[in-house]
Amino acid sequence: MQVVYYAFTLVFFFFAYCVLNWGLNIQFGEAGILNFAYIAFVAVGAYVAGALTAGPPAPGSNESYVLGAHLPFMVALICGGLAACVLGLFAGLVVFRRLRSDYLAIVMISLSLVAYDFVTNYVPLFDGADGISGVPEPFAGVFKLNANSFIFVFDAFSALVMVVMWWAMSRITRSPLGRALRAVREDADVAKALGKNVFGLQMAAMLVGSFYAGIGGGLIIFFSGAFNTSSWTTPETFVVFAALIVGGLGNNVGAVLGSLLVPVIFVELPKFLPTVASQPGLVPEVDNMVIGILLIAVLWFRPQGVLPEPKARFDALLVERGGQW
Amino acid sequence: MNPYGLAVGFGLVTASILAIASVGLTLQFGVTNYVNFAYGDFMSLGAYLTFELNTTGHMTVWLAMAISALVMGFVGVATDRWLLSPFTRRFNNVFYVLIVTFGLSLILLNLISAIWSPNFQQLPIATENPLHLGPFLLTPSQVAIFGIGVLLMLLVHIMLTRTKLGKAMRAMSDNASLAMVSGIDTRLVTSVTWWITGAFSGIAGSVLAVDLGTITPAVGETFLFVIFASVILGGIGKPYGAMLGALVIGLVTEVSAVAFNSAYKLDFAFIVLVIVLLVRPQGIIASAGKA
Amino acid sequence: MVSLPTSQRGDARSSAEASSEALRCEELRKAFGGVQAVDGASFSVLAGSVSALIGPNGAGKSTVVNLLAGALKPSSGKAWLFGQDITGWPAHRVCRAGLVRTFQLSRELGRLTVLENLMVTPRNQVGESLFNVFFRPGSVKQQERQHLGRALEVLGAFGLYEMRDNYARELSGGQKRLLELARAVMAEPRLLLLDEPMAGINPALVQQIGEHIRRLNAQGVTVLMVEHNLNVVETICDHVVVMAEGKVLATGTMAELRAHPEVVRAYLGAAQSASTAR
Repeated sequence: MQVVYYAFTLVFFFFAYCVLNWGLNIQFGEAGILNFAYIAFVAVGAYVAGALTAGPPAPGSNESYVLGAHLPFMVALICGGLAACVLGLFAGLVVFRRLRSDYLAIVMISLSLVAYDFVTNYVPLFDGADGISGVPEPFAGVFKLNANSFIFVFDAFSALVMVVMWWAMSRITRSPLGRALRAVREDADVAKALGKNVFGLQMAAMLVGSFYAGIGGGLIIFFSGAFNTSSWTTPETFVVFAALIVGGLGNNVGAVLGSLLVPVIFVELPKFLPTVASQPGLVPEVDNMVIGILLIAVLWFRPQGVLPEPKARFDALLVERGGQW
Repeated sequence: MNPYGLAVGFGLVTASILAIASVGLTLQFGVTNYVNFAYGDFMSLGAYLTFELNTTGHMTVWLAMAISALVMGFVGVATDRWLLSPFTRRFNNVFYVLIVTFGLSLILLNLISAIWSPNFQQLPIATENPLHLGPFLLTPSQVAIFGIGVLLMLLVHIMLTRTKLGKAMRAMSDNASLAMVSGIDTRLVTSVTWWITGAFSGIAGSVLAVDLGTITPAVGETFLFVIFASVILGGIGKPYGAMLGALVIGLVTEVSAVAFNSAYKLDFAFIVLVIVLLVRPQGIIASAGKA
Repeated sequence: MVSLPTSQRGDARSSAEASSEALRCEELRKAFGGVQAVDGASFSVLAGSVSALIGPNGAGKSTVVNLLAGALKPSSGKAWLFGQDITGWPAHRVCRAGLVRTFQLSRELGRLTVLENLMVTPRNQVGESLFNVFFRPGSVKQQERQHLGRALEVLGAFGLYEMRDNYARELSGGQKRLLELARAVMAEPRLLLLDEPMAGINPALVQQIGEHIRRLNAQGVTVLMVEHNLNVVETICDHVVVMAEGKVLATGTMAELRAHPEVVRAYLGAAQSASTAR
């Protein structure tokens, strides 16, 4: 039973990271936005979705957070996504007037650090470092579930969410919108000279990506029942970047491949390292270093990732025209 | 004593730490034209080296700091030669090297955690009695930090205006390709700049730790956004701007600590950053900037 | 080669339009730091003409192009495009008003295919709105089909059809120049602003591009090009504007300008002025 539990936990994180990867992919892979604060958007989604289902903090407890409510969890999940969008809107309004990529990256990483600092210190917001816990189990009213069957059901639900979001992202990346985003990524000045509203396009990518981040965050808090500051330190953003780059930037299937990276490296690898296995305290450090080194190695030896960005093909449209032009 | 007077005193100390950190970062940006996101972790590494030399090595903090700075200088050069320059030479687009520095940041942070433990550690500095210096109330260590800051800023000023190296750095900062064709050995200047940025990051990290009294692997990284704020305020790539930015941010954060809740004093730096970006993104000092 | 007189070009257009100005600028000024790159430039371009902007290096020609195209904002002065005031308009707005520009160094979208480079060009694409992608897929597809047809035609006209599925960065230098022009054509410009289209390419390609430009002009497109190659200017341009030191020195046909002493002195060659002085 332990094995099943373990396997389904890995599967859940695979689904969740798929959603997270697609979100960052449309911002970074398609539009070229170096959103180094990505994990803060995930956190917003998690906190909002969690607070909206956990209800207001109990009077006697020493917890405190805002937005306590007892909304149905699907509604709360969507609200989490939208809350992340709001953060994306503000961030975009400040940074997208300056197109230079390092400026944007500087501001985003600062945003991430400040948000982390602020949430940790300002306890009334999301209970500081302790975060929100006691998030009720989704489906609890509908099915009678023990620990194992809950995971199974939630995995199935997450799979469904993942499929829907896969379909939506595919439509976007294959559309003229996706193409315009890639043009902005390649050369924003040329895009402007072609009449594209670069600001609007970047905002679109930012908002869609933020929504995905928020949904991913919501899924995570519903699965775990809790979420605190240790889940969204800056290195976590890096893990998503690493997953995207290794899997293949600009490729939605690559993003899926990349999201296999997270559970595999984090959970399986330490078992194969004898020195580390004997010092369990070092596991997270070694994991992170391996990811950092792996990423740099991939960038050097195979920058396009395992699955490179697919070439745009217009064959389907051509066939419809009877193959003539 | 007037709390605002005290705040200005603390502000000057913070400004000194910031100035050392900001000038280190901005000089390197000026010459290489990209931001080193691992800078905060360089600072942490420098701080831990000082800590190690001070505790296990039984040196005084200031001597330890000097040696740590020397070592960090070479760490900077090595990082550039073996990791960063190869990427900038190979790829046209700056985002590759930015991601690499982001990755390096992750690696360094965890390396430090692995070697020294991820927990807070107390720096073995004897409790000092603060001195009354006019309206200020500062410990001898804080005064020393201020002194180091002023000294280093003077050295930077002399270097930039009187030495060949300094002029070469300014030339490369203004126009890298022109500098290259006018006979400046850009690779050498780049390496030396990295030595300086490494050394400065080490000193900045060390004085930060001394000022805080505790040390943790993320000590530099969490301070990074404050450094960015002062660098951008002064205009990225401009060392004198960085000094000015450091002064402003140092004072703003300490004064805001008195006026508002001191737990969020550093977050005020972010507010300043946002305002600067909305109002005058190229920084306070007017001229054709790099941004 | 003899250039056709203006009245014989573009019979499709009304004479009213043919006599109007496609582009006009007055007292344009732009300074960078302490340098006054453009110092009061004023000229106009007749609709339906092929005009050139010439002058020595540092005369401010590229800056004027950037000012007109909206890549830079002028410090002072005004500009009109087909009678509409476009002063200070940003690049994407100027483009939508019908001014399409090319860049001096070919700026292809490297990691997009050649065909994609053209497909991304048309303005007002229905499929670029997030709402339409999900809620009006039929319209998006229909417009895509239309654009695809045109894109393939344009590629054919420029000899790039075979390379359509290659990444743009894989093209040779000359092909990239053709792509730049093809892309500008795809944007259906009313005024085509070319920044040194003949710079650094072989003579055969120069002739080819020259023919493309004349063909476009015959179809009604006004052309203004910055150019150093005076032979090209002589053969395909009806009207020339000479700039020096940020100002317009003179305008006219090449023949008129060759007789203009100031122009000759500033630009057309010390040897020439030396021989006329004697």
